[in-house]
Amino acid sequence: MKDSVAIALDAARSAGATYADVRVVETRREGIAVRTGRVEGIEHAESLGVGIRVIAGGAWGFAATSDLAPDAVRACAREAVALARAAATTLRAPVRLAPVGAYTDTWTGPCEVDPFGISLDDKLAIMLAADEALRAESAVRISSVGMEFLHVRKVFGSTEGSLIEQSYYESQAGMTAYALGDGEMLPRSYPNSHGGQAVQGGWETIVALDLAGNAPRVGEQAAALLSASECPATTTDVIIDSSQIALQVHESIGHPTELDRVLGDEAAFAGTSWVGVPDLGDLRYGSEHVTVTSDSTVPGSLGSFGYDDEGVPAQRDYLVRDGILAGFQSSRESALEIGRTSNACMRADGWNRQPLVRMTTVSLEPGMWALPDLIADTERGIYFETNNSWSIDDRRLNFQFACEIGWEIENGMLGRMIKNPNYTGITPEFWGSCDAVCNRDHWQVWGIPNCGKGEPMQVAHVAHGAAPARFRGVRVGVGR
Amino acid sequence: MRLAPAEARTLAERAVGLTAADAAEAVVTSGDSALTRFAGNRIHQNVAESDTTLAIRAVLGRRTGVASTNRIDDAGLKHCAAAAVDAAHHAPEDPHFPGLPAGGRVDDPARGLAGVEAYGADARAEAAAGIIAPSARRGLTAAGTVARNLYTLAVANTLGVSRAAAGGDVRATVLAMGGSGGSGWASWLGADTAGFVPQHLGERAADIATRSSDPQPLDPGVYAVVLAPEAVSDILEFMGWLGFGAKSIDEGSSFLSGHIGEPMADSRITIADDALAPETIGLPFDFEGTTRTRVPLIEAGIARSPVTDSYYAAKLGLPNTGHALPAPNFDGPLPLNLAMASGAASEHEMIASVERGVYVTRFHYVNVEDPMKLVLTGMTRDGTFLIEDGRLTAPLKNLRFTQAVLEALAHVGAVGSERVLVGPGEGGATLVPALLLDRWEFTGQTG
Repeated sequence: MKDSVAIALDAARSAGATYADVRVVETRREGIAVRTGRVEGIEHAESLGVGIRVIAGGAWGFAATSDLAPDAVRACAREAVALARAAATTLRAPVRLAPVGAYTDTWTGPCEVDPFGISLDDKLAIMLAADEALRAESAVRISSVGMEFLHVRKVFGSTEGSLIEQSYYESQAGMTAYALGDGEMLPRSYPNSHGGQAVQGGWETIVALDLAGNAPRVGEQAAALLSASECPATTTDVIIDSSQIALQVHESIGHPTELDRVLGDEAAFAGTSWVGVPDLGDLRYGSEHVTVTSDSTVPGSLGSFGYDDEGVPAQRDYLVRDGILAGFQSSRESALEIGRTSNACMRADGWNRQPLVRMTTVSLEPGMWALPDLIADTERGIYFETNNSWSIDDRRLNFQFACEIGWEIENGMLGRMIKNPNYTGITPEFWGSCDAVCNRDHWQVWGIPNCGKGEPMQVAHVAHGAAPARFRGVRVGVGR
Repeated sequence: MRLAPAEARTLAERAVGLTAADAAEAVVTSGDSALTRFAGNRIHQNVAESDTTLAIRAVLGRRTGVASTNRIDDAGLKHCAAAAVDAAHHAPEDPHFPGLPAGGRVDDPARGLAGVEAYGADARAEAAAGIIAPSARRGLTAAGTVARNLYTLAVANTLGVSRAAAGGDVRATVLAMGGSGGSGWASWLGADTAGFVPQHLGERAADIATRSSDPQPLDPGVYAVVLAPEAVSDILEFMGWLGFGAKSIDEGSSFLSGHIGEPMADSRITIADDALAPETIGLPFDFEGTTRTRVPLIEAGIARSPVTDSYYAAKLGLPNTGHALPAPNFDGPLPLNLAMASGAASEHEMIASVERGVYVTRFHYVNVEDPMKLVLTGMTRDGTFLIEDGRLTAPLKNLRFTQAVLEALAHVGAVGSERVLVGPGEGGATLVPALLLDRWEFTGQTG
């Protein structure tokens, strides 16, 4: 891998690049899916390739190939330079990069038990037991259990002298029971929806989830949803569980504080942002209870690394502090445009993609409340749990989320179960209505391995720390 | 370098021969893609990629396992074959597995791809400049893409299937943005560059952006809507994903479950999947090597049978329509080339027939709230206008809809006479007209 990096850097320099960085990335993935008693698929996938990013003529070019023969790597570097020169024909100002040190280093993510060393029989035993237990209730007609494991090795080198080796494992598992009734299908998931929980770590993190032990409860709740009340169409106080807060942070704080979006570079696809550079330090994003960080050093998080994909060391930074916009997630190029240095948010989803500004672990910092106390403190409202659907506009202002399950809160106690609960709002009004965040005992880092952005599309693995939080006067039951 | 169809076929056949299983299937996908991306009236990303991936499905009795790799030397092939067999060894038996589909060697006609192959970095940069120019002239900023995709697919199996084909497409998009809240969108997709005029695309987006400046609020409520083709495509793609595949029918989770043969939409609504239609860019066979066929899904408003692959065709007793995705396929067979039949009305005539309603250029971030009732939510974007007395009278701030789509399709005012190819390319696209719907519920607005 290091040889390919050296060959690519030499070739890029020779072709006229004024800057180049090279990533050789090798991934190994195993995916297993069980659905309603059937093993739907067992898949092993491997991929190896090199991505070469250059500045030539003042513009960016990027080329990638899976052919690591020296001549192919050199040709790929020359193609990157040719792409940069073509891009330079529309240049307004040459690309400039914020400074970064030259590092020679190695970083390895946490993993106690190599998940690829565990037999398929052991994995399937857990999955099939959980799948069967989910369907103990006759109303649960569809059950789904999935596991996915990833091992990534990558070498980064740049013409500025860095040579960085990194490797990590990711493990993911989850399950969903679908209760089917008269023209409706109601899901209930554990430990989260959309594939479950994903972390940096090994088999030990899967065992800790106890899928089979939790399956009966999940199936029972799915079945119970069929006879639950519909979500009332009203405006009320809401308490939102930590996994849904994680997605709320992702969509309405994480994305709008990506500096490439703020500067317009993602306008045509993902969109722009409701905040601008002049807002930094002044704009009230939320109430004083809202403090949000970007942190690529959180142990075991999908958003952690030693160095980002342009060689900037991992770090923690504030995005919102006591409700005020405090920072952006940035790259070397975008950071310099606002007079800052990069806070290490450039990530690519593989060897074949140019790094973009991506979330790392973007977290709502914990508050002071215990969840039972917060519920007891709420006279009337709805408690929302586990995301089912999400939608937000291109400036990240107008959002609507649906959850799998809710409970009415009446006089400080959880009451009737609610099916299909949803809520909608406008980002600063919503975060401005946050009057309580639960404490660190309820705070958890949730992995989100399906964050789409960029053209060609890239899927990033990001994470969010969150605890349950309360919001006053939220519109719920939209379209119900 | 992308493999030519003959090379990809040879690789697939070799991989099948190396797999020590009762039966085996190999799928080779090989592609060269390049995308020139612009924002702020300049190219800011200019990328290219070349990759070849081999996937092997090994079959041991009624057990299957899949492995894939992009290492296509001898060692890589052998390792991949062994991994697929190992996965199959551990898989439980699937009593419904019908075996791999049988077939023969087919020499699919070669498509002319010279125009796409020649569409290099300089030509794409020139096109980007052409798209940007109308926005720059009007003091707007433009962002978008000019992309070229070349792809080869080969499928071989131990039951004689041996097919290979190549495809290609050119796609361009542009978002023009003004300083006073206006934005406009235009896109183009074709099998090559014929008919692609970058300046025209840029003019269309800039014109919408200019007309949509200073957008006004509109109270949420139920309105008549004219959905431009791109907005119709957003809705159609969700219908395909949620309800037109045999797996969702088998599980009972499709909005069509239990309703096959029943009226589900206005009689002017006809939707089919048709990868081989001359206007679209589909490949001639699916990822099992089965010929793609035209499948009517909603015919004159009546629900018809779903698309299938070999597994669900056998399980449900339906014909194999050639809609397999790559194994292992957790989504089941899906339609990748949906087409809605055109009607008789021009977009101008649709607008002229509306007393008070909303014109939607496209939607953003559509998602599912209820799959069986087909309730979707999403936002409008890049050109939303109030229609009053048959004319577009005012630009509107972006609106959120929450709508049961089948209810809306039961109240059709008119179907557009012209169809547009919309989509991501690489073999997938929808062919759609504009639609006038009498009732569409907007539930919120961006302030």
